[in-house]
Amino acid sequence: MNQATPFHRKYTFPYRLVFMGLLVILFFISMLAGRYEVTVSDIWKILYAMGTDTTLSPDLASQKMVLLWIRLPRCLMAILVGMGLSVSGAVYQALFRNPLVSPDILGVSAGCTLGAALGIILPGESVSLVQLLSFVCGLLAVSMTLGIARLIAIRPVIVMILAGMVVLSFFNALLMILKYFSDPYDELPGIVFWIMGSLTRVTWINLATAGPVVLLGIFVIMMFRFRLNILSMGDTRASSLGMNPLLFRIILIILTAVMVSVMVATCGQISWIALIIPHMARTLVGPRHEEMLPVTALLGALFMLAADGAARSITTAELPVGIITALTGAPVFGFLLYKNRGSGWL
Amino acid sequence: MAVALECRNLFFSHGKTPILKGISLSMKSGTFTAILGRNGSGKTTLLHCLNGIRKTASGTVHIKGINLRTLSRKQVARHISLVVQENPEVFPFTVLDVVVMGRAPFLGATQVPGPEDYELAMKALKTLDVAHLAPANFNRISGGERQMALLACALVQTSDIMLLDEPTNHLDFKNQYLLLNRIRQLCLQKNTAVVAAMHDPNMAMLFADEVILLKSGMVFGAGPVKAVMNKTNMDLLYETETTALPFDQNGQFFIPTDVLYGRKQKTLDTQTYIEHP
Repeated sequence: MNQATPFHRKYTFPYRLVFMGLLVILFFISMLAGRYEVTVSDIWKILYAMGTDTTLSPDLASQKMVLLWIRLPRCLMAILVGMGLSVSGAVYQALFRNPLVSPDILGVSAGCTLGAALGIILPGESVSLVQLLSFVCGLLAVSMTLGIARLIAIRPVIVMILAGMVVLSFFNALLMILKYFSDPYDELPGIVFWIMGSLTRVTWINLATAGPVVLLGIFVIMMFRFRLNILSMGDTRASSLGMNPLLFRIILIILTAVMVSVMVATCGQISWIALIIPHMARTLVGPRHEEMLPVTALLGALFMLAADGAARSITTAELPVGIITALTGAPVFGFLLYKNRGSGWL
Repeated sequence: MAVALECRNLFFSHGKTPILKGISLSMKSGTFTAILGRNGSGKTTLLHCLNGIRKTASGTVHIKGINLRTLSRKQVARHISLVVQENPEVFPFTVLDVVVMGRAPFLGATQVPGPEDYELAMKALKTLDVAHLAPANFNRISGGERQMALLACALVQTSDIMLLDEPTNHLDFKNQYLLLNRIRQLCLQKNTAVVAAMHDPNMAMLFADEVILLKSGMVFGAGPVKAVMNKTNMDLLYETETTALPFDQNGQFFIPTDVLYGRKQKTLDTQTYIEHP
């Protein structure tokens, strides 16, 4: 994977290694972060007890509960979502040859939100119903976008973006109707909080369903990393180089749509990550997807883990993580725009 | 010389507008063929059809005797490279990154270019004397350098058949001659069949071996430069009265007559003005 190019970028900083190290450190820190106090020695004791299969002192039982059933799945999910969203963002930016694009553009998130709102309003308190509806509506939105684009003319990239806008606006209008008719004391706040995005509800079951989908998606995208370079040069060049740009684009859109729907269905809308993390990675290691995608994934995981940790520990009541990502993402994006001025793509 | 690329009775239309109306041509190896024609005469579309990027309504294209339809896109790309006209800026790739993309048809779908691919890319840059550009940002080099980089990319891809869509577009006076000279050298050294859509008939006169005159989707004349490019044909092709100015024994430049006449008029006027202020 790490091919030595003949002469350029010979002395690069080992970003991947450093970020991996940081990720491990941050993982342990965020296992300790939160309202329920767990100390490092507690973790060692619990691990020791589990490793040697000895009985744990009963006063550590609740710590063990918190760590194993709340924080561990949550931290793993933060890593997964951070990687998945930022890698999908990188793919969209290459496919649409536009550095200002994120997976929201084709209406995935709007569809997921509508589905979730529908699930919240429908009778019954089932979280999994909300997640299922959200996932289904997210995919429905993207299929509608692709369908509309197909009716007009599927080749030009701009048609797909415009079709995405149509679907996005339509789903947002439907969402407004749902919000208007929802119960303002119970359901409306539910919808609003859901839109803000949070990892509070994450369970091992969520992780078991979303994990394989997202990891497999990232794996497939990584396989096509060199093809993404070529796709970002435009359709005519891609096809003269022996590729079928349309086929690749549709496969990658469907793949990322599934990934993003799964993630948004479990965690709600988490904004900015998909937009800024690929930019950060490109600023650090250049635009080649061979190098940029792994760094994007690692940075995304780091950012999301840190944001979730902050969301848990800044205030006594937990903040929705979407607020943290938007609050930090916007200025970071501004800084990146400033830093990349004059490189020829902004 | 062997026929590298051949098409018979090509038809192509954009929706209901016919663009190509029955084109039959053959292009030889080691020969620089220029396609001349006015804007909208179908030059770019013809290049895209020859490459199979655009599917023709009817007609056949043969690459070295093999029907294009029986080949996969990748197989076609191993024999035909294309340098396109517009190259919008996207991500700040280095020149070497752009050139190595020419190796794509030789790599598996999930394969990444290895050291040997980068070496080939460097070799192509060296062939064109632009090795120093390799680490430069593709978006930040001059138009002439960019065209050289894209030519290197095409060279890495294949030197069997090269299709060039207005290669001298946006280039300055010197760079136009430099680039076409380079292409001509390549054509002879590597026995490449070069097919270039060109706007300037005089450039075609200087560098091409054969010309194809394209007028509203039909071939209006084809053959060796000096046989086909005469005043009558140029007048009809560009729908302008031209004057042929001989510049050596058997070559001539074409200039629209009313421009020549207009210039004379203007000079006269100025002189009159100076004499009688």
